[in-house]
Amino acid sequence: MEPLSSYIILSSALLGIGIYGLVSKRNAIRLLFSVELIVNAANINFVAFARYANPPMLTGWNIVFFSIAAAAMEATVGLALILVAFRLNGTIDVRKLNRLRG
Amino acid sequence: MPDIAFLALSGLVIVSAIFALEARELIYGAVGLAFSLIGVAGLFILLGAEYLAMFQVSVYVGAVVVLILFTIMLVRRESGRILEEEEPGRLGRAGILVAGLVALAVAGAVLVLVPTYLEAPEFYRVPLRELGRLLASSYAVALVILGLLVGATVVGGLTLVRVEREEKTSGATQ
Repeated sequence: MEPLSSYIILSSALLGIGIYGLVSKRNAIRLLFSVELIVNAANINFVAFARYANPPMLTGWNIVFFSIAAAAMEATVGLALILVAFRLNGTIDVRKLNRLRG
Repeated sequence: MPDIAFLALSGLVIVSAIFALEARELIYGAVGLAFSLIGVAGLFILLGAEYLAMFQVSVYVGAVVVLILFTIMLVRRESGRILEEEEPGRLGRAGILVAGLVALAVAGAVLVLVPTYLEAPEFYRVPLRELGRLLASSYAVALVILGLLVGATVVGGLTLVRVEREEKTSGATQ
């Protein structure tokens, strides 16, 4: 059994990759990828901490259950918004979707 | 032995996450995301939560990634050209800088604050019966709210993407 710190380092790396995508990508679908990666980093942390507590905590697993369901819904609404934005503007480049800019 | 499994799975997760963001074609990126999520499911199995791994595979890989693939195809077919973005290198470097700083800060803070000498029980399987009882008693309200949220999401998504025929036909006749 590897130490808890290896899971923490892995999920931090995944978080870093997700933030990199959020900062540097321009395609709205890739931004959605990044959000999914960040949510998964959080889920890994939840499960790892629940497993390494003594005794193991069932709450951590249940929270991940809810988290996965909520993330699926968030992806659904996000994709619907992307489709609508594409229909209205003809592009999903977030740097060009600047109609609301004052 | 689990060490090798952990190393292989974390390599799969990290490499395919980077591939998902950096692949030239968006479709290949979605496939990379699917592999990354499957790797996370494998980590859940290593941590003793098989049912979460099943949930992860069926919901994420089975539903979310397929939905993303459908959206990519819809958007691409309508536009008639490949959706490809050219980031300026300045932005990519800023992204790497910010992401590295945040990841280092988070990892450092957690490693300092959390007692990592905690020893996990050698073999532990989630007691599903206990978990189900918890879900039906302590988390019953949350579960009901989750169901309502799913319904609201379905209705909201359908409302968003609905094509309004009446307006189109009236616009054509005017």
